[in-house]
Amino acid sequence: MASSPPRRRLFALTPILLVLLAVFGFEVMRVQGQAAVLRSDPEAVLTTPALRRTAVARGGPVYQRYCSSCHGAEGKGDHGGGVPDFSDGTHLYGQGRVAEIEEIARHGIRADDKQGFDLASMPAFGTAHPYKAEPLPSLTPGQMEDITQYLLAFTGRATRPDAAQRGGALYRDYGGCYDCHGYNGEGDDAIGAPALTDEVWLYGHGSHDDIYRTLEHGRAGMSPAFGRVLNADQLRDVAVYVASLEPSNAKPAGPR
Amino acid sequence: MNDAAVEDHLDLADDASGRPDAVGRPTLWNPRQPNARRSLLLCGVGALAGLLIAGFGLFTAQGTRTFVVPPEDAATVNGVPILRADVIGQLRALDDVSLGEATPAQKHKVLADMVREELYVQRGVELGAPTDDTDVRQALVAGTEAVVAQDALTSRPSEAELHGWYDAHQDTYAGEGQMTVQDVRLPSAQATGADKIVAALRSGSTPAALDLKGSGRLTGDAQFYFAARIHLGDALFAVARRLKDGEVSAPVAEPDGVHILVMTHNQQPLPASYQDAHDRVLRDFLAAKVARLQAGNERFLRRRADIKIAGDFK
Repeated sequence: MASSPPRRRLFALTPILLVLLAVFGFEVMRVQGQAAVLRSDPEAVLTTPALRRTAVARGGPVYQRYCSSCHGAEGKGDHGGGVPDFSDGTHLYGQGRVAEIEEIARHGIRADDKQGFDLASMPAFGTAHPYKAEPLPSLTPGQMEDITQYLLAFTGRATRPDAAQRGGALYRDYGGCYDCHGYNGEGDDAIGAPALTDEVWLYGHGSHDDIYRTLEHGRAGMSPAFGRVLNADQLRDVAVYVASLEPSNAKPAGPR
Repeated sequence: MNDAAVEDHLDLADDASGRPDAVGRPTLWNPRQPNARRSLLLCGVGALAGLLIAGFGLFTAQGTRTFVVPPEDAATVNGVPILRADVIGQLRALDDVSLGEATPAQKHKVLADMVREELYVQRGVELGAPTDDTDVRQALVAGTEAVVAQDALTSRPSEAELHGWYDAHQDTYAGEGQMTVQDVRLPSAQATGADKIVAALRSGSTPAALDLKGSGRLTGDAQFYFAARIHLGDALFAVARRLKDGEVSAPVAEPDGVHILVMTHNQQPLPASYQDAHDRVLRDFLAAKVARLQAGNERFLRRRADIKIAGDFK
């Protein structure tokens, strides 16, 4: 016996209802997945494949929209502007943990946010008042040349050993460089003082002139505080995405 | 009459009671036939759906949730969230552990302290701390200014904007000049012969050869202009700055005697290229933008406010 017209209409409605149900189910799963990313230990998100997939997939577009204009589409940074390379395995602030990256994304660096990183900056030793936060002595051009030679010596590029020797004394005493960069130039990731002994350079490529210019004019790079622009989901996602750009984090280590 | 016509006829003839029609279907579900119960039922379903949607939005929208702790928060205190990210940051700062590594006791202590802080902040607002406490007031002013600054800093200026700024402020990005200069001071007894000494120096003699002594203001090393100005004083620095390499100045009378400057090397300030000054250009551009926005914000607040000033203060 053939179905009556209203029953046929009900049959016609069934696919629509199924689609609506599927959309609702998908949305519930998406919200649950995102909530799981937020509730997890941020470091565990990186090593848990399902969470990582969710976060990286959502973090990529956030990164491209808000971060890539400075850090580049692939996170390679910009040596001209002192923008760090996310893929070189070094970290200016912190140790590359997801939670640390998220904190920087939320509160920024020198971004007028008291919870952000703003403890120190590179003094401009070629000026009358090198540093606002505390009195530091200016250096003469000759002293700056000596320190430049000392820093070049870390990577075997010093051309004047006598100057490098004098520069070492200045580094560890009068100039006060050791106070931030460490007695042996190892740096301090708590205040964003880069290591000076490796071949990774934030500004320029570590040439004589790049180092001298940094000593003369100082540096104070800035990263915006996105805490009022991005929501919690976006901040966590973009932090996981940025952490995933580091080669050692390229693949999740945890079980699938 | 065919079947369809009969069906239509019976549908129209049926009442609105919901009784089965001639083919056994309840008329409630026959859309061709008016039915008061169906209308009420659909109306109720619509209202219920509306309430569900509104309720979901009301209790799950960010910042308004009251029934559950949102996934991004570790707790809420009177509806004010305590962010998980802040708890994680505190755990790292106090105990150097991640959330996964922290013991329940560590988590409990950090969260308890943060809840306590939030309670006291809320109580402080109730007690009028923003009105009475100068520290709180200063912190609020600074915090509000900072919010304006943060907003200004989140958008990156274009290269064209930065280049425009650099072009308009190129002098700012010139390096300090440098000079290596000897400053000879003649005692009062020799002051009358200063012109002859200058002539001798200009003809190639050195201060040492003429047994002249330095003023002690300079060490003989290269100095930045700012340092040379501090050491020499404004009058002598103005003379020194105009000297070319190897030039000898005319005698300059100072309270402590007559000075003669012998310029070894004078390097005028050199403008930095855009690339070399890029980070400073960006910093200065953003600082100016923040200052503009903060000034605009203050104008807006004044315009919006009802400020009454006593006659004797106008």
